[in-house]
Amino acid sequence: MTHMACTRWLVVVSLGLSLLVAVDASPASAQAGGVTLNLVSWSYGVEIVRDNIGKFQQKYPGVTINYSDFSWATYHDAMVARFVSKTPTDVLYSSDHWLQEWAAAGWIVPVDESFPQVRQYLSEYSPFVREALTYKGRIYGTPYYADTFIFVYNADHLQRAGLAAPPATLEELTKQAETIKAKGIAEFPIVLAWGQQDPFSIESFTGLVFAQRNGSLFDKDLNPVFKMPGSAAEKVVTWAADALGAKRILSPTSLQAANVDQIRALQSGAATFGLIPSYSLAVLNDPGQTQQAGKFKIGLMPGESRATVGFIRFYAITSQAQRRGKDVMTAAWNFLDYFGGKTDGEYRVTKRWSLEKGLGFAQTALFADKDIRAAFGKWADVDMLQKQAQLARAKEGMTPYYGTWDVFSRAELHKAYLGQQKPADTLASMAKKWEELKAKAK
Amino acid sequence: MTKPALYPYATILPVMLVVAVFSVYPLLYSVHLSLHENVLTRPLDNDFVGLQNFREVVTGYYFWRSLWSTAVFAVMAVTSVSLYGLGVAMLLNQAVLGSALLKIVVLLPWAIPAVISGIIWRWIFDGDYGVLNGLLLVTGAVDRYVPWMSHPLSARLCMVVAHVWKQGPLAAVFLLAALQVIPAELYDAVRIDGAGRWNGFRFVTLPYLKATLALVLIYETIVAIATFDLVYVMTGGGPADATAIIGWYAYTEIFRFLNLGHGAALAIILGVVLLGLVLVYLRALRAEEPA
Repeated sequence: MTHMACTRWLVVVSLGLSLLVAVDASPASAQAGGVTLNLVSWSYGVEIVRDNIGKFQQKYPGVTINYSDFSWATYHDAMVARFVSKTPTDVLYSSDHWLQEWAAAGWIVPVDESFPQVRQYLSEYSPFVREALTYKGRIYGTPYYADTFIFVYNADHLQRAGLAAPPATLEELTKQAETIKAKGIAEFPIVLAWGQQDPFSIESFTGLVFAQRNGSLFDKDLNPVFKMPGSAAEKVVTWAADALGAKRILSPTSLQAANVDQIRALQSGAATFGLIPSYSLAVLNDPGQTQQAGKFKIGLMPGESRATVGFIRFYAITSQAQRRGKDVMTAAWNFLDYFGGKTDGEYRVTKRWSLEKGLGFAQTALFADKDIRAAFGKWADVDMLQKQAQLARAKEGMTPYYGTWDVFSRAELHKAYLGQQKPADTLASMAKKWEELKAKAK
Repeated sequence: MTKPALYPYATILPVMLVVAVFSVYPLLYSVHLSLHENVLTRPLDNDFVGLQNFREVVTGYYFWRSLWSTAVFAVMAVTSVSLYGLGVAMLLNQAVLGSALLKIVVLLPWAIPAVISGIIWRWIFDGDYGVLNGLLLVTGAVDRYVPWMSHPLSARLCMVVAHVWKQGPLAAVFLLAALQVIPAELYDAVRIDGAGRWNGFRFVTLPYLKATLALVLIYETIVAIATFDLVYVMTGGGPADATAIIGWYAYTEIFRFLNLGHGAALAIILGVVLLGLVLVYLRALRAEEPA
């Protein structure tokens, strides 16, 4: 072989080796003598998460957490991509409206199957939390936080408009908003986070439906009662279309708004009324963030029942972790127990979230905790918060196909709000989609 | 085969492997997915279903609606990008003061990733705190903030503006290159014949730009039809699915409805449509080549 030929073959072999090296660049799965857990969350309070991870690793020196986060709006899709591509993920944040979807797909596993001790916490949870954490009789995690949608109003706006009390029904809400608009206090007094991208939008809508008389979306057999003429859902959709169109009291930006946009609109004083997860009230009344701080109060949800929707975000364990073996599962349970359960007799991490960020909790007893009452008291009427929480119900229709129906429904609801189709037609279309999905799932 | 004859094959083998791994395998896998039931929440049901996924997609509510939205967006985007590119190219072709700096400024958006430009434009158009509303309010053009992305028509227009800002520079580069090879004598001849600027443009510039314009039109049509990132960051398909173009629909089928079979079928349909456009483009180019 000539020198030239040798050189050529060296090039070929080098290229081949480079390719092999590139292909073999798999992530490290575990450190020597310990366990590495891959944790994924959405991007909220990341600095607190990292600090909690540090404390957890001190308590469990054999466990290393490899942490990554994605934005809330794209979290579901990012996780689907991770699951399908089998990107290493052991413990993660999840939400009640994805629980059944992810469990049915085999991406997350029931915690109580391997760690029955998780059940010891159940009696301390609000009823809606117990329901929301359960799928086919199994418990799928420990709570990150549990919260309710609350109705908030700018008390200063109401006072300037000569209104003595917040609205108790949708009709009163319309009248008060018209008064505020007529007096030039706010062009669009109501703002809602009903953007098509925001997973909160269906929860906000559900909360408003629950607040009405006979406010339900589905019956116990998962039949869509929202399509019935005169249903609570029809009342809400009709009200929203009227508020957005004819009355012009609902801000048009609501249809592009995520929760953060709604908060900004309220903080700026551009709007009077909003429907928010209760922890957002801490932001609204934070003097460091807005001149309107201290003016926002809780009114019970506008509607005859005053009920609302409760929701839960939780820590879950993936089937990948299960496949990695007992040591990983034990580490994963320790993580869930530390972050969502008790450490040294108290819900340390849960309480920290409440104290520092105002996040709600699954454990009803924490409403009596003096630290939490003092912290919450800075931005909310705690008794009122508790009263609304006691009226919270779990979301209905929790099935593996709820997520698909939710995405479909967001666009359908927009069509009714924009006057492109009648509310009854929108609800019929949503019901048809539900029946289709239900039939396919059988 | 002699040893030296093997050498060319051995050298292209790594590249062929990369192409096979990243192009051929995904393509074949997509075809496989499209012919099987593949709903992620029913992992055990993976039966062969033939063309059922294609039939369900084509007869479903979203397909025709998203096709219509795609056509509307493509017509608005391609027309705007072409006119913008032509205008900018003609401006940059003039020997004006600061034209070098102007070229950099005009071309800059092209270098910005589409997702970033989408986020920038979403903020600009925001109905509560957007810069555009601020400017319009200060200048008295509007008396209150306008929720640009809350209405189906204006949301589409917002997306077109963002698309033109991002894609226009490339069209301008193509057209500028074509403008710079037009012989100056032709314009002199037109001027001597007494024709004005318009006739100079019509009888000299336009015929010379024809091939490049065809390229721009077809390339931009392909880009507009395959647009996804702008929808993803600006509108999420809303309001009321007004901006849910076909690329977004394929994404939704896979990542939100978790139906890989439908998503793959849609991607294949989209691929075939784009392939057809590429063939039209190649044919048009061939027609322009001298015999």
